[in-house]
Amino acid sequence: MSALEMVDIYIMGKKYMVPASLTIMNAMEFAGYELKRGCGCRAGFCGACATVYRIAGHYELKVGLACQTRVEHEMYLAQIPFFPALKAFYDIEDLEPKASSISRYYPEIYRCIGCNSCTKVCPQDLNVMQYIAHAQRGDLYRCASESFDCIMCGLCASRCPAHIVQYYVGILARRLYGRHILAKSIHLQQRVDEVIEGKYTAGLEALMAAGLEELKAAYNNRDIETEPKLCLG
Amino acid sequence: MSIPVRVMYTPQMRELIKKVEETRPSRLGIDFPRMTPEERQDVLKKFHPDFIESGFRPVKIGVNKGDRVPQELADLLEAPSMIRNVELDLEKINYDVDVLIIGGGGAGAAAALLAREQGVEVLLVTKLRFGDANTMMAQGGIQAADKGNDSPLIHYLDVMGGGHFTNIPALVSNLVNDAPLVIKWLEDMGTMFDKKEDGTMITIHGGGTSRKRMHTARDYTGAEIMRTLRDEVMNRGINVIEFSPAVELLLDEDGKAAGAVLYNLETEQYLLARAKTVILATGGSGRLHYQNFPTSNHYGATADGLVIGYRAGAKLIFMDTIQYHPTGAAYPPQILGLLVTEKVRGLGATPLNIKGEQFVHHLETRDVESAAIIRECNGRKMGITTPTGMVGVWLDSPLIDLIYGEGYIEKQLPAMLRQFARFDIDIRKDPMLIYPTLHYQNGGFLIDEYGCTSIENLYAIGENSGGIHGRNRLMGNSLLDILVFGRRAGYHAGLKSKEVKQKKLSLQHLYNYQREVEQSGSAIVDRVSPVLVPHYTHREALGLF
Amino acid sequence: MRFSYYPGCTLKTTATELERSALKAAKALGIELVEQKEWQCCGAVFPLVRDEIAAFLSSIRSLAAARDAGEKLVTICAACHHVIKRTNHLIKTDTEVREKVNGYLQLETSYLGEGSVIHYLEMLRDELGFDELAQKIKQPLTGRKIAAYYGCLLLRPAAIMAFDNAENPRIIEDFLFALGATAVYYPYRTECCGVYLSLNNTQIATDMVEKIVSSAFSYGAEALVDACPLCHYNLLELQKKTPQGKPLLPVYYFTELLEEALGLKEQTAVRKDRK
Repeated sequence: MSALEMVDIYIMGKKYMVPASLTIMNAMEFAGYELKRGCGCRAGFCGACATVYRIAGHYELKVGLACQTRVEHEMYLAQIPFFPALKAFYDIEDLEPKASSISRYYPEIYRCIGCNSCTKVCPQDLNVMQYIAHAQRGDLYRCASESFDCIMCGLCASRCPAHIVQYYVGILARRLYGRHILAKSIHLQQRVDEVIEGKYTAGLEALMAAGLEELKAAYNNRDIETEPKLCLG
Repeated sequence: MSIPVRVMYTPQMRELIKKVEETRPSRLGIDFPRMTPEERQDVLKKFHPDFIESGFRPVKIGVNKGDRVPQELADLLEAPSMIRNVELDLEKINYDVDVLIIGGGGAGAAAALLAREQGVEVLLVTKLRFGDANTMMAQGGIQAADKGNDSPLIHYLDVMGGGHFTNIPALVSNLVNDAPLVIKWLEDMGTMFDKKEDGTMITIHGGGTSRKRMHTARDYTGAEIMRTLRDEVMNRGINVIEFSPAVELLLDEDGKAAGAVLYNLETEQYLLARAKTVILATGGSGRLHYQNFPTSNHYGATADGLVIGYRAGAKLIFMDTIQYHPTGAAYPPQILGLLVTEKVRGLGATPLNIKGEQFVHHLETRDVESAAIIRECNGRKMGITTPTGMVGVWLDSPLIDLIYGEGYIEKQLPAMLRQFARFDIDIRKDPMLIYPTLHYQNGGFLIDEYGCTSIENLYAIGENSGGIHGRNRLMGNSLLDILVFGRRAGYHAGLKSKEVKQKKLSLQHLYNYQREVEQSGSAIVDRVSPVLVPHYTHREALGLF
Repeated sequence: MRFSYYPGCTLKTTATELERSALKAAKALGIELVEQKEWQCCGAVFPLVRDEIAAFLSSIRSLAAARDAGEKLVTICAACHHVIKRTNHLIKTDTEVREKVNGYLQLETSYLGEGSVIHYLEMLRDELGFDELAQKIKQPLTGRKIAAYYGCLLLRPAAIMAFDNAENPRIIEDFLFALGATAVYYPYRTECCGVYLSLNNTQIATDMVEKIVSSAFSYGAEALVDACPLCHYNLLELQKKTPQGKPLLPVYYFTELLEEALGLKEQTAVRKDRK
């Protein structure tokens, strides 16, 4: 490790020298922090480690997930592991899939002034302002699909001058879309009915009672559904 | 998504990628032969970490005394309790509820919803944030036999075969029969499964499946399920306390489960929760890094539930079998161990050695696939060595767009694409470098069909239970099992709590256990358990884990 | 003939009939209206403060995107048109606002007001031409006596909107003439309908609507036609609250009549029930 390139970073203003190859999260641990807040899946899925930072000499405020962002020289960073946001309580079953179902719970979406700060701050590179625009006009499909990769880290809400909690709007839109607009699966309902009727009970009991050799034979001889045809164009 | 054309692969690696590109046309459309049952056994015995004897030792105390468990886990089971020197007044109850659920992942959330439906008071406590769990990270999918060419019976065979016929049959039967009900439950809550326009589920293969029954939500399947469940738990007004792990269980005078000692991670206060039934849903143990493997697991996967449940006397099963996911990232070092979802192989990407040749069918079961990759790297020395000395094999992701058409990776694997893009690797154009990563604890508490453990009124669900998957779990059956048994345990614990008569709380089991530890003459003194968070400061931060 | 198209939120929610008929008619006339890939709410009200630039950003983004596409920007909703047109004028004439907005947006090419936004009616008059339109009419609305209602947003402030003579406009009457209908002139056609008061002072707004409808009726109108979702809502809803015995008139969007005259649908249904 002799040739390790080191950089200076500032964790909440305090300077530490860390290897340049590390992520922010690993660098904080390298510096001696044992994380309780601001650390979750360590793989970019859970949104626990939202981090804001500035690089010395640059005016811009930058953001990233601590577990996914490499440290840079003279990086001044602070984590935002929690941000106050009020979630509405609703019964998804009773709601209709339209704009008013969202505005009823989150009327502030119409306060959006179009500053686009939410989009600029999103560590997932989502077009947050645009999915809020879709929510305003009740286009639940677009709102749901454009917000789908949201990890609910809360950075958008932290920057919103209109006090919108974008990620809660997103999940309401996705649930409305998934529950009420996306076509129900017919084969699933059929199978559910069969299971409830007990169609497989006897078969399962027979399998449970089967001897090891019998099961092995059945397993080794089972047919396997084939791969799709290749499109070689 | 546009990815900057800065090249993260070194010039040497780039040279090797050329071989992958050379062989690609000849590999396209060719199905590599699957192993015979004998070949599978052979590669497992020689190369799978479960067969590395130095990784295990018999546990010296408790109900599983003498059983073989990973070294690192045995050390924790035998370590002193975190509250050994803490004065607790068992008369001072901070939370008094019907059902206490310990763990805020998918299993805990599902159990909370079903318990609440029984009209009882539910408290869910969790070590980190609600939803911080391996559930959130499960990208690949969830199995359920709901298509016309499939049935729970075929699913049963796949599960048993995948587990090498060691699974507990009754649990498997519940798993496969409840599977369609779980998918329907999720669909009704608005989970956005990948579907065709008419509502037909788009399903794919996973390793070891004989039917395409893997349901997906892009490659955020677990995240989509977790955030839906979390939203619903909040909508139902269920009390959730975050950053408050359970550090010991409380039993009553009769030795039945009756609550837990909670620890506020931030204020370092101990609090008592009394309950009529208790559900352990604390997940697995990847962050113990058995045999120094990197892990794909969540930060909180430190075996806390195993430790406190074992001290209370609940029996463990299959603790000597760990699942190594064949495809953890081996490069770049910043994401070492990070899971490359099995969906990548499910869509047709294949593992290749340094010559760009395939050496194993891409959809063998996870243990066989992992052992074959370890053999290729360590046995045959045909792996690719990275600048940090890590060895791995290629996973030829660009094949996917060739099979399904351009844009398919971006649509179906946005999380994967994004994660590698952050380190300037475009998986649509270049293969990934992978090596097996510590992924899943096959074993856990012995449970019955409702998740009941060997201790009355104590339930265990999800990764801290064992037996459903035997010695090897198939992809997509973990998201399934947490929901099947989460629902079953929540339902049962909710009903059961109405009959339970509360008695005096006791920690006698802990004192007895500690005495046994001391008498064994080999007490671990350099640590206490549960450990709650892995200790990564200074040392391991150098990109090792 | 191809334009960038900015729909606005109202056309996607409460005024879907306006958008549906407008797009259908445009297609039949061979005009391609391409909805902008990204657009946000215009804010609905043109802000009069100058030290707060945020409310102009949405309009500028859409104007700049149309400029980048090399197209004029077409609107249908009168409120959106009002906001975007005035914002465009402001950025062209107010250096400070221009600098602030561009400093904030950091567009690849700064926007200086060089684009242009036109209302659908202007598109028919100035781009297609009413004579040309008249040629394409398949079912002339012969004998139909229809009164144009202009409202405020399209006409004023006159110098900036430059839509028509604000005191004595004729664009909708000329449009009706092209469709073969008879335009009814009446004194209240450019009066405010009072929609901004209709929620918190319903009575004042109802009185204003009653005056407009009675005036048009007394000059022989069988129906009103408008180009603004706000006026449209107000005229329809508040007629229901006018005193018994006062005349009632159906209210159409201009595009509904266009659709009918182009032979794209049956005669426009009459909607004037008092509830």
